[in-house]
Amino acid sequence: MSLKTELCDILEIESPIIQGGMAWVATGELAAAVSQAGGLGVIGAGNAPADVIEKEIDKVKSLTDKNFGLNIMLLSPFADDIIELAIEKNVPIITTGAGNPGKHVKRFQENGSKVIPVVPSVALAKRMERLDVDAVIVEGTEAGGHIGELTTMALVTQVVDAVAIPVIAAGGIADGRTLAAVLALGAAGAQIGTRFVCSTECTAAEEYKEAIVKARDRDAVVTGRSTGHPVRNLKNSLTRKLDKLEKEGVDPKKIEEIGSGKLRDAVVDGDIKEGSVMAGQVSGMIAEIKDVKDIIDDIIRDAESVIKNNFNLIK
Amino acid sequence: MADTLDKIIEIVAEELAVDKDEITEESSFIEDLGADSLDVVELVMAFEEEFDVEIPDEDAENIRTVEDAVNYLEEIL
Repeated sequence: MSLKTELCDILEIESPIIQGGMAWVATGELAAAVSQAGGLGVIGAGNAPADVIEKEIDKVKSLTDKNFGLNIMLLSPFADDIIELAIEKNVPIITTGAGNPGKHVKRFQENGSKVIPVVPSVALAKRMERLDVDAVIVEGTEAGGHIGELTTMALVTQVVDAVAIPVIAAGGIADGRTLAAVLALGAAGAQIGTRFVCSTECTAAEEYKEAIVKARDRDAVVTGRSTGHPVRNLKNSLTRKLDKLEKEGVDPKKIEEIGSGKLRDAVVDGDIKEGSVMAGQVSGMIAEIKDVKDIIDDIIRDAESVIKNNFNLIK
Repeated sequence: MADTLDKIIEIVAEELAVDKDEITEESSFIEDLGADSLDVVELVMAFEEEFDVEIPDEDAENIRTVEDAVNYLEEIL
């Protein structure tokens, strides 16, 4: 026996784990490794142009025959090109972030792709259900990168109550206990980001991975609240500078400007002082860099043991 | 027209927790009434419920003011 949910059948994967489509971090190498290890690997399109992402898709296809996904960041200047690319390349699973994908859903479905939007509220989850999407990803504020206000515990539970389609929980999940916890809330699986950054297959700069390994519980702080697009990243010179400027009441546009391009500096160039080291609150839980297969196997084994042990609580 | 407008103002006041007196036909949900994009999704869902219609996302994204909502709903009803 092993841990299975309806998500495994829908996405044709072995374990109910999907990898977050993190901009710059979620390359073809990482996505292929996750899919190969039984989860769903996802390429993160972020703000990258279509020709760059096309290479990542081809890379995944050359490394694995298993299902994989592409995360389309709807606020990207290249979003329309990426949508066309996803259709042309017949990407099996599309996840979307940073907006309402409503008007694109039908095209993906007609092309045979499964669609799983990231939704930050009950109302948007209900609207997506009406469009017959295959599942929704619900991301709590524990997550890294761009975040919402609600916690995973509060949001997942309310979305599970509001819709009949599978709900994938994200934000705060990095080990077997946290996976078991979101399954207890009624989720059909988990999307995991930060834990996969600290994998050997992840192509991000070693400095970026090490910064997460070294981080403690309170290090993943939120910047940019005044802009309306808050970001969770590890405390460093950049976050201190942004904090100071926000306290001084500097124009949010200026804050936005300073933050722009900083994720790339951290992920690609390894500038963990002045770059934006986007990472979730689970950073303090991550103690080592290991192979993707070991990450997934350990999470599943531990989740199974938590679920079995919980059963013994009933006496 | 007046009837639709009254209903819409009532829904907007309730959903966005603002006084009815502050809402005019020209009021933009986001710029004047302090809504964010998720509030607007909830607002559109509330219009759907009140008027018993379905507003697809392609149309919903053009409803930015009280007047937009009135015009849209008058047209499809």
